[in-house]
Amino acid sequence: MKESNRPILEVKGLKTHFTTKRGVSKAVDGIDFTLHKGETLGIVGESGCGKSMTSLSILRLIPSPPGKIAGGSVLFKGRDLVTMPEDEMRKIRGNEISMIFQEPMTSLNPVIPVGEQIAEALRLHQKMGKKAAWDKSVDMLKMVGIPSPDKRAKQEPFQLSGGMRQRVMIAMALACTPEVLIADEPTTALDVTIQAQILELIKELQTKIGMGVIMITHDLGVVAETCDKVAVMYAGNIVEHASTEQIFADPKHPYTQGLLNSLPKIHEDQEELITIDGSVPSPYNMPGGCRFASRCPYAEDICAAHQPDLVSYSEDIKVRCWKYTDKWTGKRDKEGVV
Amino acid sequence: METTAEKNIILQVDRLKQYFPVKKDSIFKPKAYVKAVDDISFELFEGETLSIVGESGCGKSTTGRAILRLDEPTDGKVLYMGKNILTLNKKDMRKLRGDLQVIFQDPFASLNPRQMVKQILNEAMAIQNVVEKSRRKERMLELLGYVGLPPEALDRYPHEFSGGQRQRIGIARALAVNPKLIICDEAVSALDVSIQAQILNLLKKLQKQFKLTFLFISHDLSVVRHISDRVMVMYLGKVVEIAEKKEMFDSPLHPYTKALLSSIPVPDPTLKRDRVILKGDVPSPIDPPGGCRFHTRCPFAVEKCKQEEPPLRELVNNHFVSCHIAETLPV
Repeated sequence: MKESNRPILEVKGLKTHFTTKRGVSKAVDGIDFTLHKGETLGIVGESGCGKSMTSLSILRLIPSPPGKIAGGSVLFKGRDLVTMPEDEMRKIRGNEISMIFQEPMTSLNPVIPVGEQIAEALRLHQKMGKKAAWDKSVDMLKMVGIPSPDKRAKQEPFQLSGGMRQRVMIAMALACTPEVLIADEPTTALDVTIQAQILELIKELQTKIGMGVIMITHDLGVVAETCDKVAVMYAGNIVEHASTEQIFADPKHPYTQGLLNSLPKIHEDQEELITIDGSVPSPYNMPGGCRFASRCPYAEDICAAHQPDLVSYSEDIKVRCWKYTDKWTGKRDKEGVV
Repeated sequence: METTAEKNIILQVDRLKQYFPVKKDSIFKPKAYVKAVDDISFELFEGETLSIVGESGCGKSTTGRAILRLDEPTDGKVLYMGKNILTLNKKDMRKLRGDLQVIFQDPFASLNPRQMVKQILNEAMAIQNVVEKSRRKERMLELLGYVGLPPEALDRYPHEFSGGQRQRIGIARALAVNPKLIICDEAVSALDVSIQAQILNLLKKLQKQFKLTFLFISHDLSVVRHISDRVMVMYLGKVVEIAEKKEMFDSPLHPYTKALLSSIPVPDPTLKRDRVILKGDVPSPIDPPGGCRFHTRCPFAVEKCKQEEPPLRELVNNHFVSCHIAETLPV
């Protein structure tokens, strides 16, 4: 972790709810985390845990209606993004905080040359002239490793390969030298050899620009290789928050343990994988107590009845589990994860 | 894999080619083809799991589809138990499909949304006529038991199930006709890791129970490492390496395999590795590079690689590689 006393991004009790015909879906239900300059925070979890909704909420990109930020605050350099007027928010989006999405094909405009799309951001946010913005955009394409950038800048997205499109997205996101970069599954749609290139590139540019990165992914391998600290999400909550080394060496929450156990290991042989029984609860019908209780091998009566808080286990470990509180009786503690 | 008994070849693929025509720019230009699978040969032994790995567009799924004749191959032979299935007529092919089943990646798209589970399973059995009508209900419940679904599932529609459960339905459907060989085309790729682990365990269990042979197509090398006996790596429509799993992961010979293996992010932050990061993208399969198809991205390529296509040769026992200079590469 890099030294810096004040975080650039501070999320406190953020809640994003969707009101639909089926009821209220609590996609993000009270999460807290901080991000410092030069630091990479990983947000991991399985489909539907709310990790992408968290990132969209930070930039206020939630489709509304049906979505709504129902509570909490997002402090960016001390200013609350949740209550900020839209025109000021627009100055921050893509300028001071930018985002890379999973699918570059659907996030780029298909009929505008890629260089033009990058230049647009520069003209808008940095008030650059037409020529200067174009030159800078060619420079950016060069920086992200696109061969013959002056030629590529004039091409439309469909003329580029998937890896190159993702590089364009990165070039666009970094054009205004943001202080925070949110990367939402930036390599999920890419092949492994291209993924390795892109992750390397993000890391390299991060050191160059010194921005804070929020890496949202379902791939624990990507987390292990890129992040300083990790927040594990389950059903709209953060269930564990710790440094990357800590999470992988000694996960505390039973869900984190289950998640790591269920990965096939590339460097060892196993006859059978350890699984987590059952499946994720419906967001419309969240259990009252701990949301993982029905799948948890350790669950006690208190787990089904009351939702635990995210509490500090040690200086840099926070965990949301009754097991680590004095309310825990421990009488049904079983060996290992079933 | 059986090591004591003689290995029976259940499926032999011989010089298989699958070309797809692409739209021409002009009528005066020669017709162009995407050479999705270009002259590949391999065999599959009874009871084993052979995985095909590679990146998008390498031809791994096309190979699976060509074997099942879901696309008609351009050239080559596919011998199932010694019989070339590419020359069979429609009726015989349909009969044979009972032996050869497939599980697809997206269980949402491969199950009819208007059919209840019982109709889905019944249809499979009716077409192959493997079970008498009177016994079918019983057999369906048996199948659900094998894949770990409750009996009530029979009267439900696919949308009522989660992704993992839908994949279980797909597996039950494949099992319904007593297959010998199942092609799993990215069968667990769409699933979350905790669910993926459940399905992988299920596939392994069923393989033992019914002595199934799997052709497992996947881009996920950790999954491949877990499930396979042997692994075949493809690049741009060609086989670049085939070996036993352990051999492949411990001592890969082809530069592409090495790069591929070193690119996988490993969920262990304490592990520091020398990573081979490849330059550039996979070239277009419409006009693949001459010579060795990997030479444009290969860090070791020499002049010969640009000129001459390397044959697949056995360098170590049962370890085949198509690279001119595999012996001289750094380990």
